[in-house]
Amino acid sequence: MSLLAADLRAFFAAALKELRQQRRYPTLFLGQLFWPAILPASWVLMGRAYSGDDPQALVAFAERAGSSNVAVFVFVGYAMYNWLSALLWGAGTALRQEQLRGTLEAVFVTPASRLVPLFGPGVGTLLPMALTFASNLLALRIFFGIFPPVAAVIQAAVIVVLGIPALYAIGALFAASVLRFGEVAPVVQLIRGMFVLACGITFPVAMLPLWAQISAKLMAPTYIVDDLRGVLLRGETVADVAGDIAIVLSLAAVTAILAVAVFGYLERSARRTGMVGRF
Amino acid sequence: MGEIRAAFAIARKEIRGFSRYRIAVASTVFTPLYQFIIPAFLFGAAFAVNGRAVGLATTLGTDDLTGFIFFGGLIGGLIGMAFWGVAFSIRVEMDTGTLEPTWLTPTHHETLVIGRALGSLFWFAISQVALFAFGVWVLGLRLRLEMFLALPAVLCAILAMVGIAYLLAGIVLLIREANFFVDTANFLFGMLSGTAFPVTLLPGVLQPIAFALPTTYAIDILRVQALGSRPLFDPALEYLVLIGLTLVSYPLGRWVFARAEQAMRRRGMLAQY
Repeated sequence: MSLLAADLRAFFAAALKELRQQRRYPTLFLGQLFWPAILPASWVLMGRAYSGDDPQALVAFAERAGSSNVAVFVFVGYAMYNWLSALLWGAGTALRQEQLRGTLEAVFVTPASRLVPLFGPGVGTLLPMALTFASNLLALRIFFGIFPPVAAVIQAAVIVVLGIPALYAIGALFAASVLRFGEVAPVVQLIRGMFVLACGITFPVAMLPLWAQISAKLMAPTYIVDDLRGVLLRGETVADVAGDIAIVLSLAAVTAILAVAVFGYLERSARRTGMVGRF
Repeated sequence: MGEIRAAFAIARKEIRGFSRYRIAVASTVFTPLYQFIIPAFLFGAAFAVNGRAVGLATTLGTDDLTGFIFFGGLIGGLIGMAFWGVAFSIRVEMDTGTLEPTWLTPTHHETLVIGRALGSLFWFAISQVALFAFGVWVLGLRLRLEMFLALPAVLCAILAMVGIAYLLAGIVLLIREANFFVDTANFLFGMLSGTAFPVTLLPGVLQPIAFALPTTYAIDILRVQALGSRPLFDPALEYLVLIGLTLVSYPLGRWVFARAEQAMRRRGMLAQY
């Protein structure tokens, strides 16, 4: 068996392990049904309080957000929020979990490529992610009676699929970076909070100061959220947002290279200091 | 007297224990800021016309967006104190294996809850001072002296939340998946109390539940006094209902806690989770 084929087998084995572990803790899926439905619904009600159904207020919101449909605007933002949550708490903390369980050293002594433990757990995020999107859509339909046109939903799905590599790479970069920290939960909260504030998840990016708007352009989730709102709210097509998709894929490549470099650096450092088992 | 000393000793232990985790202490201020206050402020500001929250004025009778968010957050913090600071801390003792020795001390078990509530109130006060300071300096929060007229309502809400903390502690002692329960129940309790939006916007089926919560009236009285917002009902009637619900929730919470403890003793499940 060639080296590449062996590594691919190891990659799928790592992915299968993650999925098996998720199956063993079915109560975790309750959260993936509850939060994607209730959290955005509460923000839509906040939007109603802030707008007061005042036409002037809704026009002001539309000018800043590109649409006066507050419900879809919020639900799309929260789809990204839940995706980021699943990513950071799942794939993002996978290496750290291995470290806590004392299995990271065992993984390191296998002949598989280091890219396997770095990128394999990301597959485990795909299932919660799909469940989250389904809950989102269902809640939008049940609570607010809105279901976007099927053609727009299909185009949104294409944008999500094309966005997966970028989010995957963010998860891998985070997973490699947090190996350095003793306590990972506050770091997850901090990074997720940064994305919430910078990427236009609950409010339009236009509300941010100029420097923050420029920083937001360096983050893939900003483009993905805006493109999803474009196809679902503004009648744009995938072709219209092709430029953004190219940027997202480029950011994915840069982030993945950075993740490999950080992981490589930490591994070399670990060999010298023997810190793999210490945290 | 001995029980009061024990309650303060427990509070001191809780304060000391939590203060050892500096990042966790900082996150009591930073987490509400970036998870709720700043996003809610920018979301609300997106509806502003010529810098004025005209939509909020239509809904509530005040265009003070920052005040609306902060005073809702104040009672939201109080609710979080009962759920996480008291009820979930019992679960943490279970996880660390120290609940059994604590249970064997001659202190009344009800005092364990009171001590935790006192410790949580300390961190609640610190975090609210820091959050309000941020609000005044960065988001232009305006504080009116009239807000102190709502102090009796806030005190009533604190007492009511201690009663609810007893009730929650009883549930946490009996269930195994406490994290999901506390997390979701805390969120729903806050939303149904009107921390983020007026309860009149809730679907009709949920409004009776909202009107059965003491915190709904505490938030409304606080907003009426501090922001001059339109009240849900006559404030005198709201005070009356709030006092009534406080008087009910405290003994109800104690009763549920006592029943949970009895069930736990009978089934021998103190160390099981």
